[in-house]
Amino acid sequence: MSEIVRTVTRWIFAFIATYGVYLVAYGHLTPGGGFAGGVMLASGYVLLVLSRGAKEAEKSLGLRPAKALDSVGALLFLAIAVLGLVLGQGFFENFIQKSTPGEPLEILNAGIIPLCNIAIALKVMTSLFVVFVVMASVRFAGSGEELEYTSEEE
Amino acid sequence: MLYTLCFILFAVGLFAVSTQKNIIKIIMGIEIMDLAVNLFLVMSGYRADGRTPILTREVSRPEWLAAAVDPFPQAMVLTSIVIGLGVLALLLVLALRLYGRYGTYDITKMRKLRG
Repeated sequence: MSEIVRTVTRWIFAFIATYGVYLVAYGHLTPGGGFAGGVMLASGYVLLVLSRGAKEAEKSLGLRPAKALDSVGALLFLAIAVLGLVLGQGFFENFIQKSTPGEPLEILNAGIIPLCNIAIALKVMTSLFVVFVVMASVRFAGSGEELEYTSEEE
Repeated sequence: MLYTLCFILFAVGLFAVSTQKNIIKIIMGIEIMDLAVNLFLVMSGYRADGRTPILTREVSRPEWLAAAVDPFPQAMVLTSIVIGLGVLALLLVLALRLYGRYGTYDITKMRKLRG
């Protein structure tokens, strides 16, 4: 793509990422949340893939760190759920809200829900990034040929 | 009457799946059917002049129960949307592999078995 597209994409990417983080951080108060915010964050990377190609966009996050963060998101979600079992009475119990109740409509009022949103957003963003980069980096050597992946398989 | 749009959308998706030859268009049809079902499920929790299903201290519980929309289909449909996304990614990767094998997206030309 041309220099104009590449430059504008870099600017737009910052705004998309900011809005995605906003959706995640205020997910318990306004429409949005972990999944919507994660998709929004991933769509910034989709824009990078479309404007610069998969190879260069892959360097912005990296396939291996993305896969690691993917697992970290899932494990973080599980850890929050089990902490409710350990510190409270039940699985997924909102132990922070039980011990220190917050004011309604404040950002720090929902206990573990924002933490869950962050874990979900991490998971959704990185897995969508991996899916899109892998699908965009498929190259065909010609009709009737086997697939060749340009990114190295692990 | 309320669900007319869902049925029309589902019929459009079914039409695309059953008549199109391009595999990408078939996948688009499957996704339209998926969205139609999601829309149907969300609308099954709809209530005219309903309020948000959030219980606060200002509202009494019977009054809230009589007025609030059903939050259960909304939560389930959110899960369904995520699963739909995963299915879409899987279908597109299968289509890409078929393209790599046959060099075409036309399903009528994918006849020869190749090991």
